[in-house]
Amino acid sequence: MSLPRITSGIALLAAAFITMLVLAPAAHAQQAREIVITYKGKQFQPAQVSAPANTALRLRVKNLDAQPMEFESTSLRVEKVVTGNGEGTINVRPLAPGSYEFFDDFNDKARGTLTVQ
Amino acid sequence: MQLVTLRNSIGMDEDRDMVGRSWAVGIGIAAMLAVGTGAAGAQDASSWREIETKYLFGFTTGSGIGLEGEKEFTLESIARFGKRDGRYRASETKIEYEFTPSQFVQIEFGALASTHEIHNVTDLDDRRQFFLEGAFAEFRYLLLERTQNNPLSVTVSFEPTGRTVDETSGDRVRNFEFETKINADIEVIKNRLYAGFNTVYEPEVTTTSDHVTEREAKLSQSAALALRVLPNLVLGTEAWYLRHYDAANLTNFTGDAVLVGPTLYYALTSKMFVAAAWNAQVWGREVGNPAPYNFAEFQRHRVKLKFALEF
Repeated sequence: MSLPRITSGIALLAAAFITMLVLAPAAHAQQAREIVITYKGKQFQPAQVSAPANTALRLRVKNLDAQPMEFESTSLRVEKVVTGNGEGTINVRPLAPGSYEFFDDFNDKARGTLTVQ
Repeated sequence: MQLVTLRNSIGMDEDRDMVGRSWAVGIGIAAMLAVGTGAAGAQDASSWREIETKYLFGFTTGSGIGLEGEKEFTLESIARFGKRDGRYRASETKIEYEFTPSQFVQIEFGALASTHEIHNVTDLDDRRQFFLEGAFAEFRYLLLERTQNNPLSVTVSFEPTGRTVDETSGDRVRNFEFETKINADIEVIKNRLYAGFNTVYEPEVTTTSDHVTEREAKLSQSAALALRVLPNLVLGTEAWYLRHYDAANLTNFTGDAVLVGPTLYYALTSKMFVAAAWNAQVWGREVGNPAPYNFAEFQRHRVKLKFALEF
């Protein structure tokens, strides 16, 4: 395998990778269902939310506490710091049916579940 | 004749030594898992937070790609010890930055530093050195995601790496490697038990200081089990089967080896963790050499230590 062939291979893979990066946000840009989650008194309100399957979602997290919080979810694969008395928006890919746990990474007791069906 | 007898005697001692080490590795793994299983039995995992799988399996990489928006600084050192004779110690450290720009893609890049301490090893020059030796980048794409009905998750990655120092000998070279990996893992028991599998193809081309160009490749398969005994502690074991070729297209097979050992992952905080693994060669062969084990392309032991800080 010569060096030019290796270089061409890498260029091809890099192009494919950049295409994937460009296409991924485009998929989220389709009609997204908005879900509002409020954070108050160090708890999510509501802590149980639901959403339709295979639909892009836009989570609007409103932090009504004075302290910052970090909305995080391993299964949703998102995290976002929301300042005190601030608001954050998180785009989520279309999901398969199931339960997706989320929490405040700054406060272990604040947890919630997104149920997709 | 005396010399042959002496060599045979040394070889037998070496073999006994290796068998002893293999037993030590086995007993170590069994003890860790026994302790882990005991501790795990006392805990209810249903209330634990989900865990990222990428670093749970030691040298085996899990399918996790992090969280969109997450950034991480990482120090990862891999040390390799022991050849057939003499003293051999080498290490490579990655100083790494990784980030996740989307829910399907992770990118990592960084610098490489290496150390070599070699004394009286057949076919290798004596040396004691440290070099900032190169750079790498890794691109990971989540091909199949875990869902409630599908416990399997699969990520593909490719990692171009350039070095100015030969990994084994420590010679000054120009080396280019292109590692391609399939990382798969299964959540066997929710929040508790995970199985990881890697398939790795690692072709490389090296130009020596004498302007000789050499091509080689490694093909590897691993299987690993990781048991989450506490919310922040995961213990496990892994096995690797490694094959080496003196050609990038896998045509000139030169030897293979099996490495096994224990693994550990410990989250210091929600934003900081350490991971460690130790693999020992328990079986190997070199083409054209009847001696047991493969120390030409692989080593007696390898140890991995990783520290990561998310921000």
